[in-house]
Amino acid sequence: MKDLIRIKSLLSTEVEDLLNQQVKKEALSSSIYLAMASWCNRNGFDYSSEYFFKQAEEERHHQLKFYKYILDMGGNAISPEVTGIKQEYNSFREVFEDALEQEISVTQSIKKIYARCLNEQDYVTNEFLNWFLKEQREEEYKARRALELFEIIGEEGTGSWEIDKHVGKIKYDSEAN
Amino acid sequence: MVTTVTERQTGTWEDVFSTQAGAVYQCDAESCWYINFAGKVAKFDYRCLQKLKKAVYHIDIEAKLLDSSKDPDVEIIFICACDHTYILTLLQIIELKELLQGTFVMLQLNNILHDKLYRTAV
Ligand SMILES: [Fe+2]
Ligand SMILES: [Fe+2]
Repeated sequence: MKDLIRIKSLLSTEVEDLLNQQVKKEALSSSIYLAMASWCNRNGFDYSSEYFFKQAEEERHHQLKFYKYILDMGGNAISPEVTGIKQEYNSFREVFEDALEQEISVTQSIKKIYARCLNEQDYVTNEFLNWFLKEQREEEYKARRALELFEIIGEEGTGSWEIDKHVGKIKYDSEAN
Repeated sequence: MVTTVTERQTGTWEDVFSTQAGAVYQCDAESCWYINFAGKVAKFDYRCLQKLKKAVYHIDIEAKLLDSSKDPDVEIIFICACDHTYILTLLQIIELKELLQGTFVMLQLNNILHDKLYRTAV
């Protein structure tokens, strides 16, 4: 009897499901960042708005990377429905708190897929995920750095204007990279 | 693609798994499976089999059993896997789930056999 299932796809049903969930998660991230870009723009934080526009584009790129991997491996990539995006924020700071929270949750879900793949010895997918693990280092670093500006500079007086200006300069160029 | 066939046409079907309620066969030549269940034999390719699995596994049997607002004996569940539809009672759903669970365990076992016997360099 032929091993028909393995012939058709490299991915197990479970891993394929998890990867599709991640496609949705990246799409969600992209939409969240887009909403943040809008809020910052409307409230006069131009550098931050630009920063979030860039992040939104990156997340879209992540989404497509997962999407194409699923297809390349013989799986079924599902175009996700994205709803319930928060459009309004109570403060400038809250935007960045949410951004970091979102990145942490993405890191956690990639770790979950990684663990599952190790469990079933799907080293091929693990290798694919390595790129994302490294990417999350940068993503969390940048989000954390942005939030730290609120501690260092403070929002009083021209503080938020100063914070906004610095957000545009955040870069991850550590030696660890 | 799913086609309903009335009887076994060739001798190239191999038993995958069977229960009192039904049986699943694999046809290597056509790269598909035949499921004999609920009074008919239906052909499933890889995609459709995955869809059927997903549909059946996602039914919350416990919740349906506990739902006292309806008479569980007349519960009718539609399962659409490609252009094929099953209309089943709750008992049949349990039977179909058992049949599929056994089938996927056997297919997984077949995968292990292939890995161990044919794919491993000694
Ligand atoms: Fe991402
Ligand atoms: Fe991100």
